[in-house]
Amino acid sequence: MLTLILPTDTALHRLPAGAKLAVLAGFGIAIGATSHLLLLAMAFALVWAAYLPLGFAEVARLPRRLWPLWPFVVVIGGWHLLRGTPEVGLAAILRMLAVFAAATLLLLTTRFDQLLAVFTTIMRPFSPLGLPVARIALALAMTVRFVPVLAARAEDLAFAWRARSPRKPRHRLLTPLALAALDEADHAAEALRARSASV
Amino acid sequence: MSTASTGIKLQAAGVALGGRVILHPLTLDLSERRIGVLGRNGSGKTTLLRLIAGLIAPEQGIVRVEGFDPFVDRTAALAALGILFQNPDHQILFPTVEEELAFGLVQSGLPQSQALARAHAALAAEGRAHWAKVPVSTLSQGQRHYLCLLAVILMEPRTILLDEPLAGLDLPTQLRLARRFEVLPQRLITIAHDPTSLKGVDRVLWLEAGQIVADGPPDEIIPAFTAEMARIGARDADADLAD
Repeated sequence: MLTLILPTDTALHRLPAGAKLAVLAGFGIAIGATSHLLLLAMAFALVWAAYLPLGFAEVARLPRRLWPLWPFVVVIGGWHLLRGTPEVGLAAILRMLAVFAAATLLLLTTRFDQLLAVFTTIMRPFSPLGLPVARIALALAMTVRFVPVLAARAEDLAFAWRARSPRKPRHRLLTPLALAALDEADHAAEALRARSASV
Repeated sequence: MSTASTGIKLQAAGVALGGRVILHPLTLDLSERRIGVLGRNGSGKTTLLRLIAGLIAPEQGIVRVEGFDPFVDRTAALAALGILFQNPDHQILFPTVEEELAFGLVQSGLPQSQALARAHAALAAEGRAHWAKVPVSTLSQGQRHYLCLLAVILMEPRTILLDEPLAGLDLPTQLRLARRFEVLPQRLITIAHDPTSLKGVDRVLWLEAGQIVADGPPDEIIPAFTAEMARIGARDADADLAD
């Protein structure tokens, strides 16, 4: 989720990140305020239509992007079916899908540093109260950097395993991956020290 | 030591890690513009570079860069020294090129907007303006090396420490980087196991098992080093374990 950003430049990419976040927040509040199924379905359709500037391929890909939510759909739907309140369940599912589709659209069209800038601006009033805003921003930026790095390390370890074993690695790679993460942390600490006197 | 404090001085400075001696006490006075450190894997080259950069403290002895202790006085060290890690992935801290470049400048006191402007100007001057917003994960190995070098140059240190800067890169990238190093006005201290990457240096230190075995002009040291490496390679190289 952290690095979804599509490399193509569309009208949605050029909108300010703060405005997009405000719209997302407003949208979330608005669909939380209604349980009208038709309105909720229309809201979801509206978000789906908002994918149009990204091209038809992205419009068609939305169901696949939302697919990981299926366990929640099953649990929420099942629970409300058992309780005999299917409309409430359907409303909850529609809300969830609409908000996820909208949030995904935001992540697809907004670079992380823009989100980070909004975060820093919003949090600035709290910094005199002792909240280390700059450090949190640094930690968030480094997270975005190192999530793909660790994913690549995990893949390398899996390749190294597969090169020498016919069986699946499963949990046996967790220990080396944890050690690799600590190793990365050591290197990152050294790199921080090499360029910063204060961190 | 108090006079002409522009060089790098080591006085009986040694390093031990976990009870094992990595660098025996070294006394060195480094003031040449281009210095090479030659040695095999595990000879202590990288430890020497880290010691000079102030990333680690000496177990014994004294390290002084331009008269100050680079481990203690980090602010002075950052102004004086830049270090290029052997593996760019160990150096890059940020997800995009411009953030990576701006970080060091922000740390030295520049506001974020000015730091970004400087980063963009530097990229433009290198004909790489289009890199600014690119995620670092999409850069090739050679491009990441180049990014790390740019990040170091931007901080305008007076000395740059290079750890195997050409190892593992394809030939055109090696040539491109070597050309970039050549025109740098800074003092360069380059670590290498391959003497061909030390072309044009003024002085070569040959490190073996944490000790300096030779120190002098390249046309004297490099042939001796190459001959010794060939001699070791002809035997069963690399069978001995460190004690």
